[in-house]
Amino acid sequence: MTSVSIRIAGANGDGVESSGALLMKVAARNGLHAFGYRGYQSIIRGGHVWYQIRISDSKLRSHGEGIDILIALNQDAITNQKSHLNSNAVIIYDPSKVKVNELDAAKFKLAAVPLLDIAIEVSGDPIMRNVVALGSALRFVGVDIAAFNDVLKKMFSRKGDKVVESNVKAAERGYNCAGVSTLYGIKGDGKQRYAMDGNTALSIGAYASGCKFYAAYPMTPASSILHWFASHEDKGVMPKQTEDEIAAINMTIGAASAGARAMCGTSGGGFSLMVEGLGLAGMVEAPIVVVESQRSGPSTGLPTKTEQADLLFVMHASQGEFPRIVVAPRSVEESFVIASNAFNLAERYQCPVVMMMDLFLSEHVETIDQPNLDAVTIDRGKIVTEQKEQGRFKRYLITDDGVSPRSLPGTKGLEFVAGSDEHDEVGDLVSDAFSGIDWAVDVRNKMHSKRMRKMETMLRNEKGMFVPHIDADGDYYLVTFGSTAGVAMEAVEILRSKGRRAGLISFNYIMPLDEEATRKALEGKKLINVEGNYTGQLAQVIRLNTGIKIDSHILRYDGEAFTGEWIASEAMKIMG
Amino acid sequence: MMIMSDAQNANPAAKPRQVFTSGVKPIFCPGCGDFGVLAGLQKALQELGIEKERVVIVSGIGCSSSMPHPFSTYGVHSLHGRLLPVAAGVKLANNDLTVIGTGGDGDGYGIGVGHLIHTARRNIDLTYIIMNNEIYGLTTGQASPTSLVGAKTKTTPFGSIETPENPTGIALAAGATYVARAFSGDPMHMAQLIKGGIEHKGFAIIDVFSPCVTFNDLNTFDWFRKRVYKLEQVGHDSTSISAAMERSLEAEKTNWDKIPIGLFYKVDRPTYSDLDMTLKNGPLVKQPAPSKQQVLDILEEYK
Ligand SMILES: Cc1ncc(C[n+]2csc(CCOP(=O)(O)OP(=O)(O)O)c2C)c(N)n1
Ligand code: SF4
Ligand SMILES: [Mg+2]
Repeated sequence: MTSVSIRIAGANGDGVESSGALLMKVAARNGLHAFGYRGYQSIIRGGHVWYQIRISDSKLRSHGEGIDILIALNQDAITNQKSHLNSNAVIIYDPSKVKVNELDAAKFKLAAVPLLDIAIEVSGDPIMRNVVALGSALRFVGVDIAAFNDVLKKMFSRKGDKVVESNVKAAERGYNCAGVSTLYGIKGDGKQRYAMDGNTALSIGAYASGCKFYAAYPMTPASSILHWFASHEDKGVMPKQTEDEIAAINMTIGAASAGARAMCGTSGGGFSLMVEGLGLAGMVEAPIVVVESQRSGPSTGLPTKTEQADLLFVMHASQGEFPRIVVAPRSVEESFVIASNAFNLAERYQCPVVMMMDLFLSEHVETIDQPNLDAVTIDRGKIVTEQKEQGRFKRYLITDDGVSPRSLPGTKGLEFVAGSDEHDEVGDLVSDAFSGIDWAVDVRNKMHSKRMRKMETMLRNEKGMFVPHIDADGDYYLVTFGSTAGVAMEAVEILRSKGRRAGLISFNYIMPLDEEATRKALEGKKLINVEGNYTGQLAQVIRLNTGIKIDSHILRYDGEAFTGEWIASEAMKIMG
Repeated sequence: MMIMSDAQNANPAAKPRQVFTSGVKPIFCPGCGDFGVLAGLQKALQELGIEKERVVIVSGIGCSSSMPHPFSTYGVHSLHGRLLPVAAGVKLANNDLTVIGTGGDGDGYGIGVGHLIHTARRNIDLTYIIMNNEIYGLTTGQASPTSLVGAKTKTTPFGSIETPENPTGIALAAGATYVARAFSGDPMHMAQLIKGGIEHKGFAIIDVFSPCVTFNDLNTFDWFRKRVYKLEQVGHDSTSISAAMERSLEAEKTNWDKIPIGLFYKVDRPTYSDLDMTLKNGPLVKQPAPSKQQVLDILEEYK
């Protein structure tokens, strides 16, 4: 595998993000694999932002540790990025704007391209300098200029021929500029791919499985899900921006109770506000899907940085005990697959499903193959339209599997009241007037056991779902969950290329956990726990469920995303 | 006052009267004002003749929030202060349903007041009945947001020093399109106002003085009876928001001497469902999941 990491760095407002997105599209449409990740702050203008796109001829799982090609749009880009430059890195810069004397010229390839002059010359618009720079970068990578031109044509055709023409000209001038030549020669396989981030894949997965309602209050890094639903309102989904996250989850419960597939989403702070609602969904057995995209905490934390520190919180959020499912997609592809399955699980077991994302997975863009749409099935669970027995409808019928028949408002004869207080089979309360009376105590026992039994039913029915996944045999295994799995797999590949026998054990369906299968997967192996938090939360879950204690940890909580190289080098220290 | 519709009077056999009672006994203390609201809502639903399977009564937590249980309709007895978002979710998912909110003053004007403002301004087609007893009943008698200055409660044993909230004023300012106030001592008048609220297309709020006979010995049935008067009898113009606002301030201005009940304000404005793009194709619950081709079309955006 050969790969090259291009980092575009500048200030907010310099078009860094759109340039990155453009590069992702060029890769996706030309049979290349690419992985893009963004560094930014919570300010709208100024600051220092970067977008790193790694391009390769095979599947990538991280944006890479260092920089092979830096597009420096301002002086800060040199100052802040020089420590990340790989040896022999190419620096593309405009000599009229950026000075490179702080760099050791012997160590790098300095490509002075008159970005602004060219931009003004071909279009009169200084922002076109980014296209010039991308043209130069693609020449270094070895991507055919025609590929870039195709994307520019597709992207700007709506704006008219003149705009397309000046873009193409700018690209070609950058491509053919003196001092710019092919260094890598990475070839694509001719297969067109999609470029999207985890939140987009999740949104499309939810859409594909019939999710009609999405409620949220804006919060990074979940906001883009709300943006997705808002921009696809004409495709038959209802986005609802609410006054707060409390309203978001309660509206979702209302919509789900009425029979729509409904979802809400937020980050940890908003999820804190949703906690009481989560318990309501558990108690009234409403099938909702909640997205929790983690960012650095506690409190407001680092709003634009990643972390995986909400796992234990989500698993235990809200008072009392109730069945819930906690899932953590391990990749962009899996964000689609798990989102589309989440609604089936929610409806089959009539309980909340929480999807754990994080800023890294929500926001990094990856080239992916077409999702398998034939695998998207819709199972709405035990929705009924009649009851054979006489009398009031038993919405909370005590059943062996814990799942009761469910009627939707509008269905004649099956009316019931869903109560957040403890209730009997028809939904009548046993709380205020009767609590403590023998028969009511009995009802409570039976009803609570009925609900909790659903956890056992899930484990029994969804064979092979709530188990860890083992990739590659090794002397040592990296153990991780969610978004870190992909990067950890890259670390495994790096370790193996260095002759180390390493494997990976990763978790995606985390709660309920199949204890037996988990113990079997982990027992007797040398384990290294890799997580984006301080306390090793997955390791705690594993210990609680299996008694297995993992002693080696690679933990990261500085807000930066893991990379394969970093994990591999940390693992080497442990493996000796 | 005539409550029964003319059609039913003329031919009682034309449409069999539905029974809206589930047989569940209300948990209210004997003499509680909430019995009047129960009767008023039963009456309004019977008069309107909406099929009971199309009615969803959503409540929060409090004595008053136990309201859905004696009804044979659908219901959600949700969380303290959260009935409006739950009700809005039900309505947005299926706008063929008639959705009614029932809760207390603590529930709607205290912990949940934020939702009141936003649900009102969105003009979601709900009918929201608040049993305002100026006290927290279920938690045994603490001050509520509408407790009067000087009110002695468990949490204000030396008398409340906070200015009470003005519910109708807030609802008007927030953009509610139907604002009324009723008194549990006059369930027939209340039933009319509730009926009007259900028939109204848009967010209707009915603040009901519903005395707590156990924990509030200040705002009793008698106390209200001496003070309330009906807006219908004084020629109030319910199409004028400034007249409505003026009436909303009257109780405070007269030091609770004169308290208007009746319809303060009613205006026709498109509801959220009328304006929402997605609902042009019918209720959400009736819209099918996308075809494979529709998903592929969306994926195309990411090539
Ligand atoms: C989050 C939360 N906080 C507090 C409570 C306790 N609680 C239950 S009902 C209630 C107040 C009830 O007052 P009101 O809404 O006026 O209803 P009433 O009983 O007077 O009809 C309170 C504080 C709760 N159930 N949930
Ligand atoms: S405590 Fe007050 S509000 Fe509650 S039921 Fe009794 S009288 Fe009614
Ligand atoms: Mg009260």
